[in-house]
Amino acid sequence: MAKVYTSSVVNAPAAKVWARVRDFNGLPGWHPAIGESRIENDEPADKVGCIRNFRLRNGDRLREQLLGLSDYDMFCTYSILESPMGVENYVATLRLTPVTDGQRTFLEWTAEFDCAPEREAELIASIGNGVFQGGFDALKRQFGG
Amino acid sequence: MPRVVKSTIIDAPVDRVWAVLRDFNGHDRWHPAVKTSTIERHLPADLVGCVRRFQLQDGAELREQLLTLSDLEMAFSYCLLDTPIPLFNYVAHVRLLPVTDGNRTFWHWECRFTTPAGREAEMVKMVGEQIYEAGFEAIRRHEALTQ
Repeated sequence: MAKVYTSSVVNAPAAKVWARVRDFNGLPGWHPAIGESRIENDEPADKVGCIRNFRLRNGDRLREQLLGLSDYDMFCTYSILESPMGVENYVATLRLTPVTDGQRTFLEWTAEFDCAPEREAELIASIGNGVFQGGFDALKRQFGG
Repeated sequence: MPRVVKSTIIDAPVDRVWAVLRDFNGHDRWHPAVKTSTIERHLPADLVGCVRRFQLQDGAELREQLLTLSDLEMAFSYCLLDTPIPLFNYVAHVRLLPVTDGNRTFWHWECRFTTPAGREAEMVKMVGEQIYEAGFEAIRRHEALTQ
């Protein structure tokens, strides 16, 4: 099973960063790789079990299911149901932790998945450096550091 | 039950910060409040259950017991056994996590304790500022991490 761990620091209080990323249907509002998103069956975006159906800017379409959401611990866990990435059993978690020194936020984005062995290194790099760090870089720009 | 939670970012790789912090008997070499420290009964400092006996700069003597230590999680916890300071049932947790963006370290330090009624705010401030935040600043300047 392949594992990805990417973490960063955003120069804004955790509650403010969480308000932006907790919306399971809100990726187009902050992640530069995401074109548009909708929640299937008109369900609320914070209903655990709901499915987001979204399109990347390169045209790929993905379906992901919300597995866990905690406003108290500030984390969101989801799985991939359908994607062109060639991954199976993909489960990811985005977690925020306050940095008390300086009112900043520590962000961790982790994933575990199965894939063809020869594609593992490439997928770990594209998910960790591309999707996850790309999202962190966007948040750092949006929150000024 | 009062709770103190402090965290910071150290501009050094997590394995180097952990190499300093994991030594349960090493705080007299980096924490400004600690003058001397020894492990009782000549036990190794990474033996879970060992007790460190240490003196603060003002001469106060304290004993703390190592409750857990994990090199995998880069975390340890400990409790106060004896102290002239009114901190009872004091259990603290230290945890490091890597900040992959910039090869830095997230350091989380928290505790819970009881204290006589009316002294909560004073003890929370003392632990949070003089122990935890002062420890953060000392590690930030530590020679092993600034080279």
